[in-house]
Amino acid sequence: MFKSTKGVLKALAITALLTMTAAVTCAQTTGSVTMNATVSNFVELTSGGAVTLTGNMGGSVITDGTANSPLAVVVNLGELGPANTNSFVKLSVPLRLRSNVAYQLNMVSSVAGAGATAFSLKDTDVGFGLTPAARPANLAAGADTNSTPGDPTIGGSTDANGRWVFAGANSTLGAYAVSGQVLTGPRINQAVSANSNTSLDVPSIFAIKPQFFDPAPAITITAQFTVVAL
Amino acid sequence: MRLRRLTYSLCSVLILVAVAQAISAQALDISSGGLPTITGSVNGSVTGNAAVTGDLVVTIDFGEVSPLNPNSIVKVVVPIALRSNQPYQVAVSFSGLTNANAEALQATDVGLGIQNMRLLGGAGQICNQSTHIIRSPFNNDPAVTATVGSNGRVLYPSSLGNLSGSTVVLSGPELSKNNSIKRQQSDGYVFDVILAVTPQFFAAGISSATLIFSIAPGPNVPC
Repeated sequence: MFKSTKGVLKALAITALLTMTAAVTCAQTTGSVTMNATVSNFVELTSGGAVTLTGNMGGSVITDGTANSPLAVVVNLGELGPANTNSFVKLSVPLRLRSNVAYQLNMVSSVAGAGATAFSLKDTDVGFGLTPAARPANLAAGADTNSTPGDPTIGGSTDANGRWVFAGANSTLGAYAVSGQVLTGPRINQAVSANSNTSLDVPSIFAIKPQFFDPAPAITITAQFTVVAL
Repeated sequence: MRLRRLTYSLCSVLILVAVAQAISAQALDISSGGLPTITGSVNGSVTGNAAVTGDLVVTIDFGEVSPLNPNSIVKVVVPIALRSNQPYQVAVSFSGLTNANAEALQATDVGLGIQNMRLLGGAGQICNQSTHIIRSPFNNDPAVTATVGSNGRVLYPSSLGNLSGSTVVLSGPELSKNNSIKRQQSDGYVFDVILAVTPQFFAAGISSATLIFSIAPGPNVPC
């Protein structure tokens, strides 16, 4: 009798425990939603719009820049010999930069097809410079450091042989036969949407003074810009 | 004899506790409302319980939310089921997103809305004297209502920035017809929590946050 009572009690206790456990697992009064998000470094270089070509003779813009499109400008600078009486053939190519981190803009350039004598057009005969303005208020605060002297048509003089020399260091493509920094700065954009039209627009200027270069029918000058995150 | 008394007492206590828990446990319940979904993400994902009888445990990875994500918005919809045999309220609290850099992802950059309160099924209670109220300002789809502020940053009518402590976002009359102690497929209501992040020029980094949804007795409204 005692044993059977004990058994019933045990069964009751186990049932109670199971019931309790079942109730606990069935209903909840809280639930969780855990979230993660990633923001990677973002730097972008595109065209800042149409290029400007002045002082040319027989030159033309073959492939113009289109704002916010990949930068792929092709320009015929025209006559660079003394037949062109203008003081400079000048090309201004707007660059458009956007970033959420500090950036560095690099350039590498080359001159081909001009000949190899001392009188041939050299990379040092192609002036180059950037002319960034102060950042507008709709961009992240900060100053951009220009590694070039600016507009290459400003300043300059002839050397002892009468050949034109652009003023300052890093003022010609001769300084960029190997990729080098031309501009750097802190993050460009504020935390704005990806399709925001805020950007750092920087004119890049190329200039050649028409001179008694060796004749050459097809000189190709290339400049390739690359922006990287710092 | 002493052993018998002790056992009786223990048994009685256990049974009372079990009965009490059974009654209280079924009164208010929050669970998964189905499989959550994600759209517009790059390398993003969301996991959760497909079954409406499963617990609410959702993990969202919004993925890339810099301009490397070309989509206009990353949107996640999390269905949440509710059951109760009494008036209820749902509150949300959140932790995380403590970026000191103002240009980094902030609580206000994560839109939060509540939509589509609907019957889970035939065992849900339809009350004619009270309605289920989505509290202001959360009654919107942040993926639709997002705007661009004067500083170029995207704004939402409601976001994680509107959560302060445990914030009530939803309340109403009883939700279930039955008194079952177990979750059933159709004995309550389900609503959608919508979370949205617009890819922007945020400062680089990884951000995390956790939302806790809780259900508790709400304002005493008639059914």
